[in-house]
Amino acid sequence: MHFIVNNDLLAPDGAGCERLGCLTGISKSPKTVIETPTAALMTQGGSVVHLTADVLARVFTEPKLLWVPLSNSIQLEAGLQAQGEGVAKFAGLPGHVSCATLQNITEITPNGHYELDKVPVWTKNGKKLLTAERYMELMEVFKPDIILAIADGRTSLDEGSKRISKSVDRTQKMLNVCMEKYKCSEVLADSLILGVIVGCGSEKMLEKSIENISKYSDILAGVAISGLSDGSERSFNASDKLSDTIPKNFLKVLEGCWKPDVVLTAIEYGWDIFDGSLPLKYKDDFNPILDGCECLTCRKHTRAHNLHNFDQLFCYARRHIAANTFDLFKKYIQEQCQKLDPFIVYKEESIKDLKQVDEHKKKIRTNDIDNINSG
Amino acid sequence: MGPNLAALSFTLCSECETSKARAGLMKLPHYEVKTPVFMPVGTQGTMKGLLPEQLEELDCEIILGNTYHLGNRPGIKTLKKAGGLHKFMGWHRALLTDSGGFQMVSLLKLAEITEEGVKFKSPYDGSEIMLTPEKSIEIQNCIGADIIMQLDDVVRTTFQDNDRIKLAAERTSRWLDRCLRAHKRPSDQNIFPIVQGLLNKELRIQSANEHMTKDVNGFAIGGLSGGEAKDDFWPIVSLSTDLLSKNKPRYLMGVGVAIDLVVCVALGVDMFDCVFPTRTARFGCALTNKGQLNLKQNQYATDLNPIDENCTCSTCRNYTRAYLHCIVSVETVACHLISVHNIAFQMRLMRTMRANIEKGTFPEFVKTFVDELYPNKDYPTWVINSLSSVGIKII
Ligand SMILES: [Zn+2]
Repeated sequence: MHFIVNNDLLAPDGAGCERLGCLTGISKSPKTVIETPTAALMTQGGSVVHLTADVLARVFTEPKLLWVPLSNSIQLEAGLQAQGEGVAKFAGLPGHVSCATLQNITEITPNGHYELDKVPVWTKNGKKLLTAERYMELMEVFKPDIILAIADGRTSLDEGSKRISKSVDRTQKMLNVCMEKYKCSEVLADSLILGVIVGCGSEKMLEKSIENISKYSDILAGVAISGLSDGSERSFNASDKLSDTIPKNFLKVLEGCWKPDVVLTAIEYGWDIFDGSLPLKYKDDFNPILDGCECLTCRKHTRAHNLHNFDQLFCYARRHIAANTFDLFKKYIQEQCQKLDPFIVYKEESIKDLKQVDEHKKKIRTNDIDNINSG
Repeated sequence: MGPNLAALSFTLCSECETSKARAGLMKLPHYEVKTPVFMPVGTQGTMKGLLPEQLEELDCEIILGNTYHLGNRPGIKTLKKAGGLHKFMGWHRALLTDSGGFQMVSLLKLAEITEEGVKFKSPYDGSEIMLTPEKSIEIQNCIGADIIMQLDDVVRTTFQDNDRIKLAAERTSRWLDRCLRAHKRPSDQNIFPIVQGLLNKELRIQSANEHMTKDVNGFAIGGLSGGEAKDDFWPIVSLSTDLLSKNKPRYLMGVGVAIDLVVCVALGVDMFDCVFPTRTARFGCALTNKGQLNLKQNQYATDLNPIDENCTCSTCRNYTRAYLHCIVSVETVACHLISVHNIAFQMRLMRTMRANIEKGTFPEFVKTFVDELYPNKDYPTWVINSLSSVGIKII
């Protein structure tokens, strides 16, 4: 599997670093293409939260990226081992692309005791301490298409510098192990592995973390930022630092539960993939059905509606990047976010007006999303 | 018989030559329903259950909606605006709604029943609400189901006070008259009366005879399946089917466990509803011809078979027992997955019974069925007795 950035579409005039890309070449499903920027679908126990495979197939006909935190799926290990075909297939979702990580970082977990070469994972049955070796062993059982290397990422921006420094060191040690295991693993030959950036609370530590990761830029396929869940845009500063040290074609993953306008800012900074925690925050069952999306499946199934709605945000974002109208789209969503909390229904119609306002901009570059797919 | 033939026509297609089992076709405004039929609950409050398309794929021809839940969510106003529940939920086949009374009495401890109706305190704002027979029909007229139920006076099945049981049975008949008078849509909705009288045969006879004088297209047998002994249960079912008109459908309320379905079809019942298949799914229990599988059990941890290899439901096609074991009672998805299978199981059982009635092999089917369910031949006495009462000898 690999990640391709459509560099031709990058704006040369400093309009932002938003970019289009795709994940392709998955050996299990060669025809699958995941377009970026995109949001993954959050899973629990391997299943998309609240949706059976059957219902999911009614909402999304195309393959999606599944976000698989070990914290809620480690109990699948024995079954996965017996079956031997990886987490997506085991969870009834073959054909979808899986991305495994240590934990869903929006889950609130207790602070506490750390051991030198282990990080805690908080499961329903309590705390389990994982070493990097054990983590990679689990990856060989889960067989995800994308692996986020194990990291000690649960530090907030306001954490003390001693804690942040330890987190960077521990993450580095564990990355070394992950890289060794990954290089030797035949099972994971088709999987991409990403380095996890920690230490966002301190500029110095952040730089150090990025530097540590850049040592493996020939093995890694991308980076993820972990450890930020307070919705602050401060973290995107990291992307300035990234641009100097990290290859341009690296897949960039941003974990956390971000509001739509913040998501668009992150896209503007060049982030490609987001975890799927946002739609899960909106659990109200009825209002969206009544005033929202017109598609019948959505009216009948609110949870599916929220996922579909969130997915539309990215779908429109991609079209606007292609049409070079992304800044207008972002402005529009920002306005909507101020007016309409907590959740917006992304309708293309309203965006059409915006498009006309700045029609000439649109003409500058291709607006045909299909070119991107075939390219 | 009555003038409402447009709203329901029932044709008997085949009758078992041994037992009272029968296969029929019930033509309703929205769908032609083949009987015997099991009706899953398709509108559980906030529709967290299955999608209408899924129910269609599972071969459900008629589903049940809870009037009490629908009245709260989405609410009568919304349903009215949408043009009825069919349109609101996108369900194109037949629909039956209950009166709302049973839900109130069983859910709300503060319900008080008077001659006027069922009085209860709203769990939302504490205000007093009175559900009268007229009100129940008004709401059900808005929902627009093919079959609607009369409001009945519900007494717990194990209740002992004979005067109260008698009052309930008689009041149910009086409320039936009020329901029929309040009914605004007789051309496209059918009110089914409910035969009451609990375990008292005299009252059952009285209730059935009284209801048969009314201009209605089908009957329900109520007040059973509420914790009474099985030895008391089946004779009342059999008595009721003996009493009720042969050419109208008979609906036994609240029955849905496989063996009960088989026995009651043999006793001449055409329609069933029950929350059992979906409720038991919540506890990780999957239904099979051999009984229930409790997927929580460790024996399934590495079992790569589907729940039932002969089942073609989407759960059995996509998921192993091992996976379901991992997520059972932890994830809501597990509950949905097992519900899909359990409803598929119910539908298959009903189809198989119907096919056997039509082929004239129903008694043989019953024997095969009980032998698979009780491989050690430890048949419950009530099963032996009830089946033998209609000429099917299993021992
Ligand atoms: Zn099945």
